[in-house]
Amino acid sequence: MNLHARTLALRNARDTLLRQPAATVLTILALSVVLALPVGLFTVLGNLQNLLGHWRNQAQISLYLHRNAGPVAVARLRARLERSPGVVGVRYVGQTEALAEFQHYSGMMAAIRTLGENPLPASLIVELNPLAQSPQILEASVQRWSRDPAVASAQSDLQWVARLQAIVSLGTRAVWALAFLLALGAVLVMGNTIRLHIAQRRDEIDISALVGATRSFIRRPFLYQGLIQGVLAGVLAWLIVMAAIWYLQGPVNRLAALYGTRFPLVSLTPGQGMALVALSAFLGWLGSRIAVGRRLDNTFS
Amino acid sequence: MIEFVNVTKHYPGRRHVLREVTLRLGQGEMALLTGPSGSGKSTLLKLLTRLEDVSHGTLMVGGVDLAMLRRRHIPADRRRIGVVFQDHKLLMDRDIFSNVALTLQVAGVSGRQVESRVRAALDRVGLGERWREFPETLSGGEQQRVGIARAIVHTPEILLADEPTGNLDPALSTEILDLFRDFHHHGTTVLVATHDQAQVERLGMPVLHLEHGRLMVPKELS
Ligand SMILES: Nc1ncnc2c1ncn2[C@@H]1O[C@H](COP(=O)(O)OP(=O)(O)OP(=O)(O)O)[C@@H](O)[C@H]1O
Ligand SMILES: [Mg+2]
Repeated sequence: MNLHARTLALRNARDTLLRQPAATVLTILALSVVLALPVGLFTVLGNLQNLLGHWRNQAQISLYLHRNAGPVAVARLRARLERSPGVVGVRYVGQTEALAEFQHYSGMMAAIRTLGENPLPASLIVELNPLAQSPQILEASVQRWSRDPAVASAQSDLQWVARLQAIVSLGTRAVWALAFLLALGAVLVMGNTIRLHIAQRRDEIDISALVGATRSFIRRPFLYQGLIQGVLAGVLAWLIVMAAIWYLQGPVNRLAALYGTRFPLVSLTPGQGMALVALSAFLGWLGSRIAVGRRLDNTFS
Repeated sequence: MIEFVNVTKHYPGRRHVLREVTLRLGQGEMALLTGPSGSGKSTLLKLLTRLEDVSHGTLMVGGVDLAMLRRRHIPADRRRIGVVFQDHKLLMDRDIFSNVALTLQVAGVSGRQVESRVRAALDRVGLGERWREFPETLSGGEQQRVGIARAIVHTPEILLADEPTGNLDPALSTEILDLFRDFHHHGTTVLVATHDQAQVERLGMPVLHLEHGRLMVPKELS
């Protein structure tokens, strides 16, 4: 369709929106809140996963080394471990260190001393990102590593990882379900707004049809109306999420400081923000499309 | 230009509104459609713009069988026709210019052309200077003339009017009907439904008279 018709429709849509500024603003606000909610939850979830992923000393595997494993073999194993996916860090605990730790935790020094020599093996402690891989894959990795000639035995507690992953996937699902419902809500909000506009402009639709307007000519201003409001609501939702993150950052900083760490919250990337605006525009368009389609079916039949 | 052959129309669950109507209106001809209230005049005009579909029989407009016309081609077909309504159906929240321009805009005519053609159409109906005003500031007759300008601004081949003078006093009726006759003299095919017996006699045009949906042989032609 030609550019002139589009410009005309765009001007028509703009004029309609400006004629009823209060209604327009309310629609945009409602839509942006509906969108900001799931997007905000996704952002929080992302930050939570981030936090869990960097939570040291939670998911770790101890690989006890053979007494006769040479430094070269150990170094090679260590390099191999560090390259493995999901591995956050590898720490070497020598025999002496192991003894010191044991002493520290158990206080059973006398018993050990009777043995004459240090019975504790050296080990490599592998720290894992608990969310990077499924427990099954982790289990397989542990099996593979324990077959390394330098490794005498392996000890791991992957139960905890499995539980954590189950909780996170439950949370993700819940947010997706909510997001789906709220997206539906956005379509309904827009559909209803456009339906009201259509009711107000019935005459215009009918007369346009009488003088030979095509369906797309009649539909276009309404679609643009939905699109414009969708874009504005998307931008507003983006701002709301950013403001919420900014608002939470202060308390998070104080909390993190109590644990002696720092935890900068991750906000929406520009790409995600654009995606949000695009999605919002699409939902606005879809809502109008449905509403106006129903009206036109009556006009033209 | 317009040809009805044994056209019958009934609305769902109703007796026939038009029965076996056969008539022919050649290119550039003008006729008046008369008949008592409820005799089917508006229905006959609605068939021409495909606001209603023919139940039986054949209706040809400009060589096109309307029953064969695909739904998506109806808008383009309607642009060959200009329609004037008794209640003029103007958009009250748009100025006169925009009301008339609508016909051209739906046809995709570009901005500059719209401007000159709308001004020309308004000149034609004697409202050239008032294009910035809104319909409510006009008298009934003036509003009707805006409706006529909207119907002819795209120079349609056919001009239909459904009781265009129904709300007007005799002087204004004369004025409006003379305007239609003018278009007829310029080669447009014109069909006007009217109750106004005085005007029918004054104009002395061919009359198509409906009674209970049947076309009576017009007195003038018998
Ligand atoms: N959409 C419709 N559904 C059902 N019946 C209809 C419909 N439109 C018109 N009719 C009936 O068809 C008959 C003819 O109506 P029509 O409007 O064509 O008459 P008319 O000659 O234009 O009358 P008037 O002079 O009062 O305008 C009437 O009995 C009317 O009730
Ligand atoms: Mg009628």
